[in-house]
Amino acid sequence: MKMLSADQIREVVKARSEKRAVSDKKVMDIREEMWNLHDKGEIIVIPIEKKNKPVTVRTLFGWEKKVPTDHLWHHKSCGQCGNIPGYPASLLWFMNQFGTEYLNEPHQTSCTAWNYHGTGTSNPVALAAVAVRNWHRAYETGTFPLIHCGTSYGDYKEMRKLIVENKEVRDKVRDIMHHMGKELTIPEEIVHYSEWVHVMRDRMAAMSKYDLSNVTATVHEPCHYYKMVPEDAIYDESVHGGQRPAPPTALMISLGAKVADYSTWYDCCGFGFRHILTEREFTRSFATLRKIKPMVEEAHSDVAITTDTGCVTTLDKSQWIGKVHGMEFMVPVLADVQIAALAAGAHPYKIVQLHWHASPTEKLMEKMGIDYTAYKNDFMKYLEQIKNGGEIEYLYTPHREMEKYFAVNKGQVLPEGMKSRTG
Amino acid sequence: MSILKNLPQRKDEQYPSMIIAGAREHGEQPHELANKIFSEMRGDFRYKEFVLGCLNCGECTTGCPAARFYDFSPREMLQVAMSDDPDVLLDAMQEKIWACCQCYTCNMRCRFGNDIAGIISVMRELAVRNGLESAKEVLKPASRSLLKVMTHGTQVSPDMIQPDFFIDWDPKAVSKTGDLIALRKAIPIDVLQVTDSSWEVSMQTALELAQIYEESGVLDMLRSLDPDLVEMIVDIISDWKDEFEEMKEKFGI
Repeated sequence: MKMLSADQIREVVKARSEKRAVSDKKVMDIREEMWNLHDKGEIIVIPIEKKNKPVTVRTLFGWEKKVPTDHLWHHKSCGQCGNIPGYPASLLWFMNQFGTEYLNEPHQTSCTAWNYHGTGTSNPVALAAVAVRNWHRAYETGTFPLIHCGTSYGDYKEMRKLIVENKEVRDKVRDIMHHMGKELTIPEEIVHYSEWVHVMRDRMAAMSKYDLSNVTATVHEPCHYYKMVPEDAIYDESVHGGQRPAPPTALMISLGAKVADYSTWYDCCGFGFRHILTEREFTRSFATLRKIKPMVEEAHSDVAITTDTGCVTTLDKSQWIGKVHGMEFMVPVLADVQIAALAAGAHPYKIVQLHWHASPTEKLMEKMGIDYTAYKNDFMKYLEQIKNGGEIEYLYTPHREMEKYFAVNKGQVLPEGMKSRTG
Repeated sequence: MSILKNLPQRKDEQYPSMIIAGAREHGEQPHELANKIFSEMRGDFRYKEFVLGCLNCGECTTGCPAARFYDFSPREMLQVAMSDDPDVLLDAMQEKIWACCQCYTCNMRCRFGNDIAGIISVMRELAVRNGLESAKEVLKPASRSLLKVMTHGTQVSPDMIQPDFFIDWDPKAVSKTGDLIALRKAIPIDVLQVTDSSWEVSMQTALELAQIYEESGVLDMLRSLDPDLVEMIVDIISDWKDEFEEMKEKFGI
C-alpha cells in the first residue's frame, strides 16, 4: 500500500475542506422566529396556557421548555396502538388517577414518518401538512398535543423548523389547510409523553404499591427523542451528570430502581423503519447482539426501559429468535409509563396489557412482589366475559357512532364570511 | 482530478443491470437518468442545508448501526452526495441508500453539522420519484404497509402481525386469529378496539389525509413506483367519499 506524504495529505484535506460551504451553521432556537411569524399573522401558535398547568424544564443547551400537564390531546402512535396497547393504556390510566383532562380521538392520523423514513414515499410539504392537520385538531378542541411516538416527536420538530424557516413550504401547507377549512397552526412546544411522565415522576412514585429496590434496570434512549433535534431534549445535571437525556432514567430513580450502565447505551435498537418490517435479519441481529446481550451480560438487567414505540417493539420481539444462537436469556422490555403503572398497582393485564409482550415479564413481577397469577386468572375470566358479549371496561366514555365519520366537537369548516387568520 | 479519489472508479460500460432496467423504462440513457437525478438533488432546497462539508473523519460511520451489518457507510454516502459525478450518485442509489436505519446517530456525531440521514432520505425520495427498478424491488414487500398508511393514516395494524410474516417473532406475540378480536376488545380504549388499523381513524380524517397526499404530489410520486397501488388507493378513497356523503345525510350534517 502506497503511503501519502504529509504534503499530499495536506493537499487532500485542503481540497476537501473547500466543500465546507456553510460552516457558520448555528443551532438557533426556532421558537423565537415562530412567535415572530405568529405576530405577523402568518401562522397561529397554539399557546401553552394556565389551564395546561405547565412545568418548566431545561434542554440540552440550558434553554427552558414548558411541559403542559393538563388539557391534553393524545397524539397516538401506530406501533404502540398496534402491538403494545398497554403503552397508551398505562398513560391514560395515570391521567385518570391525576384527574387530567384529555382527548383521545379517532380524528388523528399518524405523523406518517415511519413510512417516510422507511420508504421515502412522501415529501416535505406532505409531512408538514400531516403535522399541521393533527396540530389543528388539538387547536380547535382547546387542548395541547402530547406526542406518544418518538419518531412523531422528532418529525414534528423537524416540521416546525421547516415551516418556520421555509416560506415556500409554509405557503403550500397553508394553502392545503385552507382548502380543508383549517389554519396553519404550530404548538408552542413539541412535547413527548415521556416528558409528561418525567415532570410527573414524583407524583407517580408517590403512588407506588410495589417495591423496585431489588430491580436492576437498563435504559435504552430512543434515537429520535434526542438525536434528531438534540437541542430540544430534556437534560438535567443530576441525571448522568447532564451527559445523557434525563427521561426515563430520572423516573426509574424516583421509583427506587437501580439503573445500571452498559457499553452500547448509545446504539440504536435496530428498528430501522423498513428493516423491522422487511429486513428483520438485520433488526434481530442488531437488537440481540448490540443491545440485549450487553444489557444482560454487562448490567445483569432485570428489565429494559425505553420511551418509544419502535424500541419497545424491536427489543421485545427480537429476543425469542436469539435462542437459535444459544442466547437463552430474555429480558422484559417495557415503556417507562408501563413499569410506573405496574409499581402503582395498575392491573398488569387489563391496563398494562403485558400479554402483548413477547419477552416474559413474570420474573420481574415476582421481584416487585406482584401476584401475577391472580391477575392473570382475573384477566382470563374477563376475556371470556367479553367473548360472551359481556360488559367492557373503559378508561373514558367511548365516542359516539357519528365520530367514526365526522370530527365533531368543534367546527371543521370556517363559518361563511369569516376570513382566514393566517394569510 | 476528482477530490473523491477514495470512491471506486466506474467505467461507462459497467452500469449495474438495475440502472439500465430503470433507464430503459423511461426511454432514457443511463447518463441522462443520472444527470436528471443529479440535477434534482442539487436543486432540492434541502441540499444546501444538509450537506455542509466533510473531512472524512469517519465519526459518523463508527456509530452507524447499518455499517456493522451492510456494505454501507454514512461517510461514503456524504461523499457521494458531494461528488460532482452523477454516475456515482446513481450507483449509490441502487442499494446502499436503503441500508440506512435513519437513526440520526451520524448527524449527532458529525462535527460539520451535516444532516446525513436527511440527504439519504432525499436520495430515497428521488429513487421513488424516478421509478428506479431497484427502489421497486426493495419496496415491494412494504406495499401492504404503504396501502395502510395512505388510506388509514397508520402504519401497521394488529391483523398484519401474522405468523407467516413474522415467523421469527415469539409465537406468543403474533396474532391468533380466533382471539384477536376479543383481545382488542379487552383494551380499555375504544378507538383501539379495531383489528385493521392501529386505531380507528374517522372517515373525515382519512379523507383529509388523502387530500394532503393528492395536493402535495405524493400520489403522483407513488405512481412512478407502483401504479397499481395508486389505483387501489384511489378506488378506496372514492368509495369512502360516496359513503361519507351518505353518512352526512344519515346524521343530518
